Amino acid sequence: MRWRVWFDRLIVLVILLAAWQGGSLWLGNYWLSSPWAVATRFVASLFNGELAFHGGYTINEALAGCVIGGVPAVLLPFLLRRQPIVVAILDPFMVGGYGAPKLAFAPLFILWFGIGIESKIALVAAVVFFIVYFSTLSGVRALEPKLVQMAQMIGANERQVGRHIVFPGAVPAIFAGFRIAVPYAIGGAVIAELISSNRGLGYLVQTGAMNFDTTQVFVAILAATIIVHAFIAVIDVGERFLLRWRPRGAALIVDHGT
Amino acid sequence: MTAPLMLDIKNLGKRFPARAGREPPPWIIQDMSFSVGAGELLTIVGPSGAGKSTLLNIIAQIETASAGEIVFDGERITGADQRALHPGLNRRIGYVTQDDNLLPWRTTIDNVLFPLEVQGTLDAAARVRAQELIDAVGLSGFERYYPHELSGGMRKRAALIRTLVYDPPMILMDEPFAAVDAQTRTQLQEDLLRLWSLKRKTIIFVTHDITEAIALGDRALVLTRRPAHIAADHPIPIPRPRNVKDIFTMPGFASIYERIRADVQ
Amino acid sequence: MSSADLTTELSEGHAIPRQWIVTGGRVALAVALLLAWEWGSRAFGPLFFAPPLATAERIVEMAGNGKLFTDIVATLRVSVMGFIIGCTCGIGLPFLLRLSPRATEAVEPFIMASQGIPKYALTPWLILWFGIGDAPKVIVVTLFVFYITFITVFAGIRGVDQRLVNMARIIGASERTIARKVIWISLLPFFFTGLKIALPRAVSAAIVGEFLVAVEGVGFSIERARQLSDTTGVFAGIVVAVALVLIINVAVNALERRAMKWRPTDRDMQL
Repeated sequence: MRWRVWFDRLIVLVILLAAWQGGSLWLGNYWLSSPWAVATRFVASLFNGELAFHGGYTINEALAGCVIGGVPAVLLPFLLRRQPIVVAILDPFMVGGYGAPKLAFAPLFILWFGIGIESKIALVAAVVFFIVYFSTLSGVRALEPKLVQMAQMIGANERQVGRHIVFPGAVPAIFAGFRIAVPYAIGGAVIAELISSNRGLGYLVQTGAMNFDTTQVFVAILAATIIVHAFIAVIDVGERFLLRWRPRGAALIVDHGT
Repeated sequence: MTAPLMLDIKNLGKRFPARAGREPPPWIIQDMSFSVGAGELLTIVGPSGAGKSTLLNIIAQIETASAGEIVFDGERITGADQRALHPGLNRRIGYVTQDDNLLPWRTTIDNVLFPLEVQGTLDAAARVRAQELIDAVGLSGFERYYPHELSGGMRKRAALIRTLVYDPPMILMDEPFAAVDAQTRTQLQEDLLRLWSLKRKTIIFVTHDITEAIALGDRALVLTRRPAHIAADHPIPIPRPRNVKDIFTMPGFASIYERIRADVQ
Repeated sequence: MSSADLTTELSEGHAIPRQWIVTGGRVALAVALLLAWEWGSRAFGPLFFAPPLATAERIVEMAGNGKLFTDIVATLRVSVMGFIIGCTCGIGLPFLLRLSPRATEAVEPFIMASQGIPKYALTPWLILWFGIGDAPKVIVVTLFVFYITFITVFAGIRGVDQRLVNMARIIGASERTIARKVIWISLLPFFFTGLKIALPRAVSAAIVGEFLVAVEGVGFSIERARQLSDTTGVFAGIVVAVALVLIINVAVNALERRAMKWRPTDRDMQL
């Protein structure tokens, strides 16, 4: 009975909104804003371009960081495919980089690059790099040696093996890596903006709070959340299309770790 | 008049490389000699682990030989240097393995065309040839399917015609039909014989199934356990075209079966 | 010639064990990075790059005057509080939801959707409510830990073999007993994985939270140093922060290995 599930969910939604509205009536807009205030302000910000401006800034940071961090992270495992010694040498450094809190470097990047967009991009790139590196590495390593042998038998050279066997085999892992990285990317962009910025959704949050304008804070947070989910949806669509050759498997647990 | 020799193996030997300061490892293959004529379908029977796959790997130039020599089409191709190996001998030797090894991210037609793509010979004529092969094994209509959508037998057929599409003079087959059910296997054997009758390639077919060896081969070699060498060489007297489904009823089957079985023991 | 061939030649030709080459390479790389750091401080000036030596001296100084200790304690205080609360909710909620599959289905999309909220962005609003004490940071850490443990425990509960549960029901076990004896045990590997991820995350979330609101702590020191253009302080603070999280990572992994000696652990992320 699919409709009952959706009905239940609607009920939950209504309860949440009612509780919120009730809370704001009781405590005042200052503390909680209200569903109506957030909704109207959101639409207004959308139409007057403010949300697009700041949201676009944050999106740009996230995208640029994903590219700058993601591209080397994808390339490195392929380039090092036949150099397992180099991979082994790098391993503790990569694991350390993965485990280390990249966001802790935010003040350093701000110190280096100023409060403009570069520091945010650098931070996002650092975060994305390690996540995507390990995903891609496992994808490249999971390569079926028999497929490589088959390709060699029919005369493929190293480059062709890389292009036709290694790369397509690793694509699922690359997608998985980016899917995991995206929320961290946007989270990183926002935190850097919170610390120091004159633009972006984090800036809106910060200035909203400083002006005791809770509604603005919520609108900005809502926008950021929508962006995270939108990015992930795009990746999912892309994956479903590019990976339609995969047999139906169990769905992976998705970590939306902002 | 004998057919020209495609493959001549003399005193082939193989063992794992010796480790410094340790006992030399046992021979996997030792003193193996046989030859294959051009256009011949040779089957090789032997118990599991006898080194059949190793033998094929050496012929296919995936592994080196430790001793002896192999002459392929008049050319000496053995060597002990791993780095000088040319797998597939520049596309003149095809290899059909037990796993179909189709690329899961390619459709059937793209899988079949894969060797031509790699070799740079993909033109309109080649596509026509590929389509003919697809039709010949009954995969018409399944060109755009992905491997996971095909049955085991269909994937085997696709793997088979993928090897045929680039026309190697010799094809090695390592128990290719072992992993399917009996009915599908019979069907695949028939497909193989039918394709082979159109284009007489030299085929070396390894199997542990004596019936299969008799049904398919012009000759059947029997391999011993390790260290493997040729125990017997049985010409199969059953005339072609062969009825694979009813091979048991063919005259001469029973006696050749008994003889081979005795040798395998 | 690939590095594998080179290594084989070196190791088999000159009898150098492969492990030595790898370790040697790592040491060489570490030294190279340190040298690059030193060169950076000379090339870009002390405002951008504190020299390694100065950084080390500062850390020693901080250790000496007790600041290091108080900072770490402050950060850990926030992390542990948030970790405990987050774990409790993250473990409790799935078990609660288990009692009503209907409620689970109804509520699940909201939990997943809310996961997309950038949690640090809530800090300014939390400051509005709770002031500039520990509370905003603890709440943010709680949120991080909650989602991690919730997802792992939730998946673990779902993954429990239904046949075991049915069998337990047939022999008359109460829901509570089932929860304790069947589900919890099956759950343990997932649970430990979640903890393994959540604890370092809690510490790093506390550090980052301190960038926005704090009067002390590792993160606070970093941000304060930045505001004062005290680059050495920034470098020193970051070294401490990274070391802290990495040490906790190693410790948690070691704990897991000991607790679950009989299970193959995830080798990909091992230090």
